[in-house]
Amino acid sequence: MAPLKSLEREYPIIDSEFQNFCASHGIFSVEDFLINDLYELAALAEQQPTLERLKEGITQVLGIIDNQHQPWLNGMDLLEDALRNKHFLSTGFEGGTEASKVMVAFINLDGNAVHYRFERLSNRDHDWTERQLVGPFVLTFGVRLDLLLQGGFRAGQLTELVGPSSSGKTQCTDEVFAETQFCLQTAANVAVKHMGRVVYLDTGNSFSPQRIAHFMELISDLHFKQAKHKILQKAMSNIVCHSVFDIFAMFDVLCQLECDLRSQMDRRDYLVQLLIVDSVSSLITPVLGGSGSQGINTWMYVTGFRKLDFVTGICHIASLLKKYMGTGRALMISAGFLLKKLAHEHNLAVVVTNHTVGGEGGASKPALGESWKSVPHVRLLVSRNRGSSSCSVSILKHPSMASGKATEFVISEF
Amino acid sequence: MAAEKGWIQGDESGKEMLSRVLTEWPPFLLLPPFHRLPLRVGNVVELVGPSLSAKTHILIQVAISCILPKEWNGVHYGGLGRLVMFLDLDCRFDISCLAQLLKLRIIQANGSSSKVHWDQKVGNLGTCHAKGNSSIAYDEELFALCLRRFLYVRCYDSFEFLATLKTLCFRLQKEREAYGISVHFLMIDSIGAFHWVDRACRPLPHEVNNRKSLSLQSVSETVVQEMRKLLLVHPMVVIATKATIIGDKNSTKEVKWKSRKLSTPDTSYSEDVKSNTQHVPYHEYMPSVWQSFVTHRIAVRPTGEHSTITQNKQVQLSVYLSQWLLPPLKFLDKFALLPDGSIILQQID
Repeated sequence: MAPLKSLEREYPIIDSEFQNFCASHGIFSVEDFLINDLYELAALAEQQPTLERLKEGITQVLGIIDNQHQPWLNGMDLLEDALRNKHFLSTGFEGGTEASKVMVAFINLDGNAVHYRFERLSNRDHDWTERQLVGPFVLTFGVRLDLLLQGGFRAGQLTELVGPSSSGKTQCTDEVFAETQFCLQTAANVAVKHMGRVVYLDTGNSFSPQRIAHFMELISDLHFKQAKHKILQKAMSNIVCHSVFDIFAMFDVLCQLECDLRSQMDRRDYLVQLLIVDSVSSLITPVLGGSGSQGINTWMYVTGFRKLDFVTGICHIASLLKKYMGTGRALMISAGFLLKKLAHEHNLAVVVTNHTVGGEGGASKPALGESWKSVPHVRLLVSRNRGSSSCSVSILKHPSMASGKATEFVISEF
Repeated sequence: MAAEKGWIQGDESGKEMLSRVLTEWPPFLLLPPFHRLPLRVGNVVELVGPSLSAKTHILIQVAISCILPKEWNGVHYGGLGRLVMFLDLDCRFDISCLAQLLKLRIIQANGSSSKVHWDQKVGNLGTCHAKGNSSIAYDEELFALCLRRFLYVRCYDSFEFLATLKTLCFRLQKEREAYGISVHFLMIDSIGAFHWVDRACRPLPHEVNNRKSLSLQSVSETVVQEMRKLLLVHPMVVIATKATIIGDKNSTKEVKWKSRKLSTPDTSYSEDVKSNTQHVPYHEYMPSVWQSFVTHRIAVRPTGEHSTITQNKQVQLSVYLSQWLLPPLKFLDKFALLPDGSIILQQID
């Protein structure tokens, strides 16, 4: 924040005399004002000969402080913003049944009804459309995952996908994490169906344009080859991938993105709708405390089976570790707040992945632990069912639902 | 003149005082887990628990009870008819949750009986403007009135939080004048949100002697100082949630190791606080200046159990456990969230 000196030009009341008075009480910047007692300062000003001007100066700084926080809103303002800007982005996972369109209830508090419907659905029993299916969102019949999420990923929210990293035994590099597939398919869907821009932060070279193109082929149901080609080309150009290998690079990309979004806020053609970080845990675990070697080990475990030159990677990370030891959690929480700020202010849906690592007693747990839990709005557990291409998703956390609900979906193999 | 004199004299019997205080400030919040003790303005209540212990949900329910009027067009809603100020430090607040639960409460108070009717209304929450139905339109007015009583600001870091607190006094004054009613609850969700970030702040190397450096300690001190002053001018109940951001034994060890190594000033209060019954243990991490500011503390956690109730059909409910840590009460309470979002008490068996 600004030193008082720099404010002098804009606010003449903050003159050198006022600055000297503040300096004599250890206040040099607006930031210092925040952690000092202004009532005490005002009382001290009383004893000065020029108390009127000093008090005026304090009031002026208070006015500046008043602009440093987010705007005051009431419930109606918030609701209007939510209805106008915080839309759902469909994840595009078809369940395999016929794609007849139905209206699905907006938010159904009685979560059990949703669960009930899934069960009936899996029994190929479609007569459940009668009662509760009213509301504004058009979804396809088979989009079970969107149903589970009450409409898909929501703009303004940070959604976390927790999933297992591939087991240590397989040396097969072709195996792709279920969460990554999930991200790629969602990106394809948003680019094609919503015609929105997608920013994809790739930490382990897992971004695959071929896969995205494949998903797009599946999604778009156009029959004319030329039109299809054109649309796919446009959709592909809407997905921007950045390779980032450490948390600082991620901060760089995100800050740049924030800058771009802010300067192009009124231009409708540059409308980023989805931001994906795959995976955020491999960026954060190395800087997260614990013993240094443990951090590197976890990092190796998480990223080790990806196509990454990890000798240079380890050297790089080790040097960072030394520098930022102990501030890992601060970086993690700051990253979380930056993502949430981007999501809220620019109406993006943000999706991050968090790989599970082996915990004590053989049980696996998410690489980012207790402190991270309070960061995302929605947490989903993604796991690949053994011996099949289907995946199951269950809700660990959702703002308007009890956790523990689950659904299955199929990721098409390629 | 007589009135002023009477005010200065100010002698009253205990009974008179009690009845005056009770009518001015209804002290009981009947909502679990607050139902055990009376809460009055000036109290600072801390709701501590891990992620997924329904803390924000409890705040929302309390907020709804506060913004609803006691009576409106002859229908009894039983609310306080006051304002709520919600400081969102986690930046995860979802207005559609509150709007939906509020709507349900209004519908329930109006006693709509038919199930199908109810379902339709629930389904239409997002687009409630569409209906031309007179009873819903009338609900609409109350709904909007209540939502306007919910005041909200989000903070992305400690600076914004402090800037908000510093200017809150004027703001509350303005709102009080605009609405003609005062803020009854100041809610903070959650107070430890910036803990790790503030802890990582190191003093600048070339420090001027009397310049306060930004640290976890100085931020907490200022927060408490500002809130104390605020409560003198604007009597309110403060409810702050606190996430247990330090989890299992593993991470506890790790933190202790780290704080020794870096000799941060907060080692003194990083201790394991365990309740005597060991039912709801948690790890205290807030600086002592905040701890001494808190007058009531309730720990909540999910039990992992489910109970089933029959309400037209079978419904599974998650069960939570709550316990008063300050003042320490022997009771453990179990509560569950109904599908309509209301909180019910359960018998401990």
